[in-house]
Amino acid sequence: MYTSLFYKEWIKTRRPLLLLSAVFAATVAYILLNVAKLYQANPVALWEFIVQNNAAQAGYLKYLTLGAGIALALVQLAPEMQNKRLKLTLHLPLNESKIVGSILWFGIVALTGLYLASGAILLAGLTVYFPAEIVSANLLAMLPWMLGGLAAYLFAAWICLEPVWRQRVLYTIPALGCTSLFYLDALPGAYLPFVPWLASLTVAGFAFPFYSAIRFKQGVQ
Amino acid sequence: MNAIIQCENITHYYGNRLIYENLNFEVMPGKILGLLGKNGTGKTTIINILTGFLKPRAGVCRIFGEAMERLTPAAKSRIGLLLEGHIQHTYFNIEQIEKFYSRFFPKWKREAYYELLKRLQVTSTQKISAMSCGQRSQVALGLLFAQDPDLLILDDFSMGLDPGYRRLFVEYLREYITAENKTVFLTSHIIQDMEQLIDDCIIMDYGRILLHEPAAHILNHFRRFRFTSDADEIAPADGTLWHTEKVGNNWETYSFASAADVQRTLADGGAAVSGLAEERLSLEDAFIGLTGKY
Repeated sequence: MYTSLFYKEWIKTRRPLLLLSAVFAATVAYILLNVAKLYQANPVALWEFIVQNNAAQAGYLKYLTLGAGIALALVQLAPEMQNKRLKLTLHLPLNESKIVGSILWFGIVALTGLYLASGAILLAGLTVYFPAEIVSANLLAMLPWMLGGLAAYLFAAWICLEPVWRQRVLYTIPALGCTSLFYLDALPGAYLPFVPWLASLTVAGFAFPFYSAIRFKQGVQ
Repeated sequence: MNAIIQCENITHYYGNRLIYENLNFEVMPGKILGLLGKNGTGKTTIINILTGFLKPRAGVCRIFGEAMERLTPAAKSRIGLLLEGHIQHTYFNIEQIEKFYSRFFPKWKREAYYELLKRLQVTSTQKISAMSCGQRSQVALGLLFAQDPDLLILDDFSMGLDPGYRRLFVEYLREYITAENKTVFLTSHIIQDMEQLIDDCIIMDYGRILLHEPAAHILNHFRRFRFTSDADEIAPADGTLWHTEKVGNNWETYSFASAADVQRTLADGGAAVSGLAEERLSLEDAFIGLTGKY
């Protein structure tokens, strides 16, 4: 039954996921080509670039993680809310929490895979040109953005599953506030002490869509 | 014999607007119950309550003995649900949706689904979003047949269908539920379609059940009476007459009583009537007689 639920999510998301993968791949390729070009043309300029960017070449991925999280939530859940199609899903002979959990896990696994794959390729590419310190600085810079993408996905799911428009607007305010915590401008590594807190916030965000699903189930209007 | 559906003292409001107060009814195994009511009397609301998608202000509904808010997966697998407008997962194609649902239901009958769809001019890779409402209705019906549930809950199954698809839907459904001895709870705004299907009938008025009787009882006993009278106003003396009103120069009233009893009731009310003529009614006419035209 779970494979069937994942199959449904795959059918909904396969093309958007392909598109997101292409965008991430293009961004990573652009960053690496940019670095390679600077490296070949003028290594001094490259180091200037590093200083200007606080040693973080991965900056182009920053808001892409956020956009991917929100986009995936919309692709998965907007069709469920259209014509209240979620009723069909929740009427399947499975515990309703497990159904909602399966939908969310699919999204989290897909996003995590996307973030890790693009992050790994980028970091592997950077090791050709930079010492380990610069590469790890990039890793530390990307970590909160990736968590932010997952949190944005969960907050968007929370808003999307909510049956009342007024509540959706109200949920958007704390969702924006919490998500912005992941994207504050800071030196790479400055976030490190906060990463456990940001991770906790992401984990807590997993509960919110269930609250909306309960309200949907109760027919709140 | 235990009822398949039991609703006890259901009371519900939308805001301050009363939808029902102390609504009670049962559906016994093998029965086909049609819920009729004007727009806004809460037909879809009761289906939402029954299937656990709306928490009523008070009261409880049970399906297979389980409270609607906490239906177990086993009970849900025995309920086939058709949403208003034949809503389905439109991102699937015909093959994919069958593959998706088949893993959830132990009694899944793949051939029943494809048998029904064979008659549609569609390919197996056609997306449901690219189908007409009539074609979608056949997909939804095919999925219900394949699920082979013990109870079917069909919300306004006629909605959006042209006469051909309506006829097709009703014929397949009637054949299936008669052959398989299924229990059905359905609503439709086209009462002609209901007449061909239902055993029992609940007619809803605003806030309450007006009538819960076998459809045959209504068709055999409920009559329209036309007559002439000089009276300007005829107030029914008791509950014998329904919606007595002047239509042009003549009068009409509806009743379960015999012509003689109707004549007597009108005379007791002080109205001099003549030319009392009795007419048999279709279910749709009976519905109008019971609920009024407005």
